[in-house]
Amino acid sequence: MRTYDCDVVVVGGGSTGAGVVRDVAMRGYSAILVDRADLGQGTTGRYHGLLHSGGRYVVSDPHSATECAEENAIVTRIHASAVEATGGLFVSTPEDDLAFSDDFLAGCHKTGVPVEEISVAAALKREPRVNPGIRRAFLVEDGTVDGWQMVWGAARSAQEYGAQILTYHAVVGIEMTGSSVSAVRCIDRRSGEDVTISCRFVINAAGAWSHHIAEMAGCHDVEVVPGRGIMIAMNHRLVNTVINRCTYPADGDILVPVHTVAIIGTTDVRAEDPDELPIPADEVQQMLDCGEILIPGFRQARALHAWSGARPLVKDSRVSAQDTRHMSRGMSILDHQSRDGVSGILTIAGGKLTTYRLMAKNIVDRMCEQLGEERECRTADEAVPGSTPGETYQVTHRLHDREADRRDDQIICECELMSRTMLTDALHADPQASMDDLRRHLRLGMGPCQGGFCSLRATGIACAEGVIDAELANARLHEFLAHRWIGLWPILYGDQVRQTALDEWIFQGLLDVEHLPEPKVVLEPVPLGVAAQSLQSTTEPETTEAVR
Amino acid sequence: MNDVVVVGGGIAGLLSAARLVAQGAKVTLVTFGVGGLQLSHGGFDVLGYAPERVDRPFDVLDDFIAANPEHPYAVLGADAVRLGTDFASEFFGDRLVGNDGRNWLLPTAVGALRPTYLASPTMVNAEARAGHDPVVVVGLQQLKDFQAELIAGNLVKQQIPARAIVLDLPARTHEADASGLTYARAMDRADYRADFAKALGKQLLSGEKALIPAIAGHHEAAAFTDLQTRLGAPLAEIPLPPPGVPGMRLNEYASRRLQDQRVRWILGARVVALHSEGGRAVSVDVATSGHLTKVRADAVVYAPGGFESGSLSLDSHGKVLETHLGLPVRVPPGRLIGPDRRSEQPLFRSGLAVDDQMRVLDDADRPVYPNLFAAGGVLAGAMRWSEKSGEGIAAASAVRAADAIGDLA
Repeated sequence: MRTYDCDVVVVGGGSTGAGVVRDVAMRGYSAILVDRADLGQGTTGRYHGLLHSGGRYVVSDPHSATECAEENAIVTRIHASAVEATGGLFVSTPEDDLAFSDDFLAGCHKTGVPVEEISVAAALKREPRVNPGIRRAFLVEDGTVDGWQMVWGAARSAQEYGAQILTYHAVVGIEMTGSSVSAVRCIDRRSGEDVTISCRFVINAAGAWSHHIAEMAGCHDVEVVPGRGIMIAMNHRLVNTVINRCTYPADGDILVPVHTVAIIGTTDVRAEDPDELPIPADEVQQMLDCGEILIPGFRQARALHAWSGARPLVKDSRVSAQDTRHMSRGMSILDHQSRDGVSGILTIAGGKLTTYRLMAKNIVDRMCEQLGEERECRTADEAVPGSTPGETYQVTHRLHDREADRRDDQIICECELMSRTMLTDALHADPQASMDDLRRHLRLGMGPCQGGFCSLRATGIACAEGVIDAELANARLHEFLAHRWIGLWPILYGDQVRQTALDEWIFQGLLDVEHLPEPKVVLEPVPLGVAAQSLQSTTEPETTEAVR
Repeated sequence: MNDVVVVGGGIAGLLSAARLVAQGAKVTLVTFGVGGLQLSHGGFDVLGYAPERVDRPFDVLDDFIAANPEHPYAVLGADAVRLGTDFASEFFGDRLVGNDGRNWLLPTAVGALRPTYLASPTMVNAEARAGHDPVVVVGLQQLKDFQAELIAGNLVKQQIPARAIVLDLPARTHEADASGLTYARAMDRADYRADFAKALGKQLLSGEKALIPAIAGHHEAAAFTDLQTRLGAPLAEIPLPPPGVPGMRLNEYASRRLQDQRVRWILGARVVALHSEGGRAVSVDVATSGHLTKVRADAVVYAPGGFESGSLSLDSHGKVLETHLGLPVRVPPGRLIGPDRRSEQPLFRSGLAVDDQMRVLDDADRPVYPNLFAAGGVLAGAMRWSEKSGEGIAAASAVRAADAIGDLA
């Protein structure tokens, strides 16, 4: 049994929680963030990587558009190393109503979203793969942001201000003194240890899982409606600029170049359970069709991996108008004091990754108000550690690094140019890290071969470094391959089938990994989402139930 | 019936060409890549799992065939598997040893024990069926695909007394990241073998066998024996992920021998069309550089490999295709790919259906052409990588196809 004492416990290690813990720490509160898994393992790590210019919302949600435009500039400044300033294009494809483009342009001017119309020829010169039938093109300040890098940056900043980050700590209860929250009880999922954190305040930033946390404090009927969307990463950067269809927001209207891939997204379907997120075959087909409209020949490109994320939308019939007075459109703050008569806890959900800092500011402002204290938000003022304003990410960074160290270091993951030193540093920094934890930090196994070569090397090197033994290495390898497969089998076609066959020749044909000594250790990961249908038309549609 | 085109440079293409030239045919071998042998472990599998580990493959073949009626072995029959294996054994001579009815059990580069029927003589000292002598697994700091601690750790779990050492011995100066092939080329040189033996000898304990990555020489056939002599202790190679040197050695041996026997070789070229007249295949178009080359054929052996070669594929609408000639593909019923990675993915049993002469069949089970034959990984019905049956299928189907062509003459 471990105990802690702090002012504020933040529940949830996604972008919102990381933003909140940074904000409260910078305002001088002692704070602890807990998450049942790794940082950024939920929705934050399962989106398309877009840093909104605001252009997407200028017609449908002008207030959000303005917020996005403002926050885009702030995030680019304070998280420069996580952001790639790709720029974005809104294009009117032959399928789109040209009338919308006038509304779009007017909306940009009205909301303060920077925009410049360029000629179709100029747009096609910049992005030669884009549909040559486009009729108008608008340049905006869309960028891409690595959600994990952003979250770690915020977490490091919070730690510098004295906050503690406890990953793999699942909240199992909230203790009350009278009608006030007094402590959060957790279990350390890696050691099994009970942990109690006494606190003055809890900020519930558990996203699509926030109703479970609210319930523990006796706040009932918080209804989270996970809005599931699928995304597909295509091999290579088919484009180097974010390409949006100039339409009212719809499914499959965006192609985002992130790191070495281009991601098409997304859909929006109500999910019952954010731990069970299928990647249905019809939605995969829908995304490929949408890709064809943006980039003719899209289906001939190679799909690498698909995933499904859950937008944490909160629907609450009991929330009254006054509770939303500080609320921005798209983000919801639930004030449990007025709503449930429980003090010392607030819930925040909704919003967008681009506006994560603003969401944090809004809820921490509300907390200060409830605590009767005035402390200014300073999160927009300084860059997070490891990030220098103006020095944004470029996709060629790792190539540059490897050119520098190629005679002295090994490349363990050729697809993502991950060196042996990067791996061994990460292994020693967190000896308990799973291969997926390492993947999020290093991009290990995220390239075309999906771990075909590097996963074997990485588990072997973990053994060589004395971090794990052979039995645990076997378990970690199988766990990693099983997790890669979740996002692989729903998009298995074309060259990725060939890659999979090659990988199986290596894993089974050559190395016989299926007959390694069976590990006695059973790893029980946090649910990662389930792909419920395959690509084939011969597939019997399965219910989510059947997959469980 | 003299001019035969063989499509594919893997073991099926090589062995069918070998069988055909022995019958006096004029063979043109067309290959786009370097063939599948360098992806392999450099041995020869017949049947390793069914699904339990198999110790004597020919003893269980009848039962396996009964349980798997769609399998190429069922189409061919057990005698053909025997014939194909014996032909391969004879063809490769002392480069593959065994053929005594039993599978070898050899450690892999992660430390699993893998059954195979014929093995490279450079590997058999690692045999784990009987007796468990102490072994030392020898890694190299500069070779990332052979992690000695993992291998030794897994061998210990399987009751083999094993320990790991790692030598800091670059294949080339100032190279931290070398492939097995780079090491094998270094091992072709006596001075490097001397350095290696010296560095290893210092750490070798008496009575230990040394298990090294498969790097003991690329072109220099005597490299392994020389290294073992210098070391004065039993030595064994463990195959690495591709490019695999033991498979390359077999590939180069087979290619040279066939070229000596006047097999015409068209390299780096894809077969893009098959022409017929009067219901028979008469020629193939080969996409050589800049133009198509038409190659006349009295018969065609089609052995371009399976999904791993890109000869079979699945398009984005979920249709299974044979990609070069658009031949009819036999696809298992039901779901082809499922969510559990460790259970079988039926997609990979897709392939060409053939009759007992290895003639490619259409959807109504009629030969597409009486002189179009298929062999190897393109055939439907097998899960080669999990069964450990790839070379056995390739050899048996290649020999049967070649013999059927001989019968046509």
